Amino acid sequence: MGRPRSRRAGRTRALGSRRKYRRGPGGPVRLTPCSPTRGGPGRIRIVASPRACLHRLSSALLLAVLAAAALGLAACGESGGKPSAIKVVIAEYSKDHTRPFWQGLAEQYTKQHGTKVELQVIDWNSIDQQVSTMIQNNQPPDVLNLNSFSSYAKDGLLHPAEDVLSPKTREDFLPAFARGGEYQGKLYGFPILASARAFFYNTELFARAGLAGPPKTWDEFVDAAKKIQALGGGIIGYALPLGPEEAQAEWSIWMWNNGGEWQSNGRWAIDSEKNVQALDFLAALANRHKVTQINPGKTNRTDGAFQLFKDGKVGMVMGFSPLAAQLDAEGKVKYAVAQMPANAGAPVTLGVEDYLMAFKRKANAEAVKRFLDLYYDPANITRWIAAEGFLPVTKSGMAQMSGNPKLKPYLDALPDARLVPTTDPTWDKVKLDVQQNIGRAVQPEGDPRQVLARLQQNALAVAGSGR
Amino acid sequence: MAAVVLYPAAELVRASLSRYSITGLHQGFVGLANYGRLLQQEALPAVVANTAVWVVSVVGLTIGLSLGLAQLVDARFPGRRLVRWALIVPWAASLIMTAKLFAWIYDYYFGLLNRSLTGLGLVDAPVDWLGDDATVMGAMIAVGVFVSLPFTTYVLLAGLQTIPGEVYEAARVDGASAWRTYRTVTLPLLRPALLVAAVLNAIYVFNSFPLIWTLNDRNPGFAHDTMVTYMYKIAFKSALRDVGLAAALGVVNVLVILGAVALYLRAASVREAEA
Repeated sequence: MGRPRSRRAGRTRALGSRRKYRRGPGGPVRLTPCSPTRGGPGRIRIVASPRACLHRLSSALLLAVLAAAALGLAACGESGGKPSAIKVVIAEYSKDHTRPFWQGLAEQYTKQHGTKVELQVIDWNSIDQQVSTMIQNNQPPDVLNLNSFSSYAKDGLLHPAEDVLSPKTREDFLPAFARGGEYQGKLYGFPILASARAFFYNTELFARAGLAGPPKTWDEFVDAAKKIQALGGGIIGYALPLGPEEAQAEWSIWMWNNGGEWQSNGRWAIDSEKNVQALDFLAALANRHKVTQINPGKTNRTDGAFQLFKDGKVGMVMGFSPLAAQLDAEGKVKYAVAQMPANAGAPVTLGVEDYLMAFKRKANAEAVKRFLDLYYDPANITRWIAAEGFLPVTKSGMAQMSGNPKLKPYLDALPDARLVPTTDPTWDKVKLDVQQNIGRAVQPEGDPRQVLARLQQNALAVAGSGR
Repeated sequence: MAAVVLYPAAELVRASLSRYSITGLHQGFVGLANYGRLLQQEALPAVVANTAVWVVSVVGLTIGLSLGLAQLVDARFPGRRLVRWALIVPWAASLIMTAKLFAWIYDYYFGLLNRSLTGLGLVDAPVDWLGDDATVMGAMIAVGVFVSLPFTTYVLLAGLQTIPGEVYEAARVDGASAWRTYRTVTLPLLRPALLVAAVLNAIYVFNSFPLIWTLNDRNPGFAHDTMVTYMYKIAFKSALRDVGLAAALGVVNVLVILGAVALYLRAASVREAEA
């Protein structure tokens, strides 16, 4: 797992910035390529393309520019001012599959359309920082893969779907995931892949504790956790990861299965009574029943909770398909997958949707459209999603993958899976606030009501400030 | 020189005077507002205190231990070359790998440390070294000292080797005890090397990001952050997500370290003049 390599690199690359954006009525306007005062001989090629700039020039200048443009076109022999390369930034889902797939896709694209692809595959730990740096330096990618999109849409940086996706691609999205990519009624975050959580339990420990099957209610869950914990020898009932890595995911599942919500009627509702009740329940698991690992508020998912489950020390954990793949590969733990235990209504699981988005850059819409349509070609997208062990986001992918028995529990859960409110730009900050704070609620001295009240207060402040 | 030092510094200052959206989009200049907001951050006093404890403890302990180690590897004994080489290893390993290794050593369930301590009967129950608020900083300081020892020991060893043998001979002829020789001959003559070791270590330890980032990654909030990891969290990992505010702290960090080094050098030169 790569961490940010060094502080020095972090500071100079992340915080160094050049101011080339100016806020205009239609969002940020890029100054450099359009400004006629900067259009020296070296810039002729640039002025050739952007229609959007032309209206800002006086007619006299227009003539001069057109003449120059003609010269420029003749000189470099390009047609229509399409970019000679597009920059594509992809998050690394796995060392084995991510780069090979996108490298292959890029080569296929270049072969078909002649446009080069500058591919960057970045690990999840540093992608936020690197993308921020690109935007500070006015060098956004043409295509970006990330787990959030609405802040970029809000800043006016993105193409809407109708500019860069063919109707066929747009219509193929599963409706729930298309809705999860909308900002103010328009699709900006194109679903790239999905995953769904499921309830994993260690069947060997369940048998030893005399438990017939997975718990369906919270009462049954506590009972099962106590019986497993009572086996002794360092065996843990439930591994609860509320450390900063992915606390919002674990919390969402418990909150929803108690009938709680992130938002109700479009307003943040983080501190609702149901949510306080759910967090009290988790705190009680840790401190009253003592059926979790030590310090659940300070345990991360990957190297904490999952590691304990993979070691056979834990009865139950909230997992997802990549965990199943690791467990199968290691073959050490006998496990089964079930629905989440629910305290109110039908069981709910968390669906996670990641996005592709297209940044507005000079005359890049056509080139980006061809690239995205190539990715969303059922042969490509499904091949990759299957290799990474994730779930489809398209109707065609769903049809192709539904025959896979390994994926059945997740695919069954997918239609009822709920998404966190990524469509609200406020979420991008709320998520970080939850990650940094919710763990404190389940510490022995923690106060769930107070932690949630504080999160609610901060969410309202962010939503109100419009930043 | 200008390109390497001045340009990034100027960019940092400019960023600290700017407002950015969460995406990194520049939204104009705000004067000193980011510095004002920095002072209002609730976590700041604890972070500053952590930084002081971290730097003073790591540098102090490192120099204390290195004095002994340098003396040891300066002495002639069979296998000295091997010991000298072994001493370099923690220095050659990447900080992230070292930090990951220690995260495993400290682990509550799988860690070597708990197994050894409970096995020897030194503690009754395992300790969550990186999760317990009382032990996190100590555990991180121990790793900080571990990775700082090689460099410091070598600087002091170089210092020891510049001390001419005649001085020791003179001390022996005068009948000075070993301890007295060390105190009145070795230490004063080591002063330049100690000065270098202290200043370089202070800068290095203050700026140390990967150790604290990795060992503290499980803990919510900012209770165990130093000014450097706090800066990164302000920019990318907290609800603030504010590059401008982080840049303001970055400027403060540079000034703090420059100020501390200047003060130290002045104090040292005053002592030098008195001596």
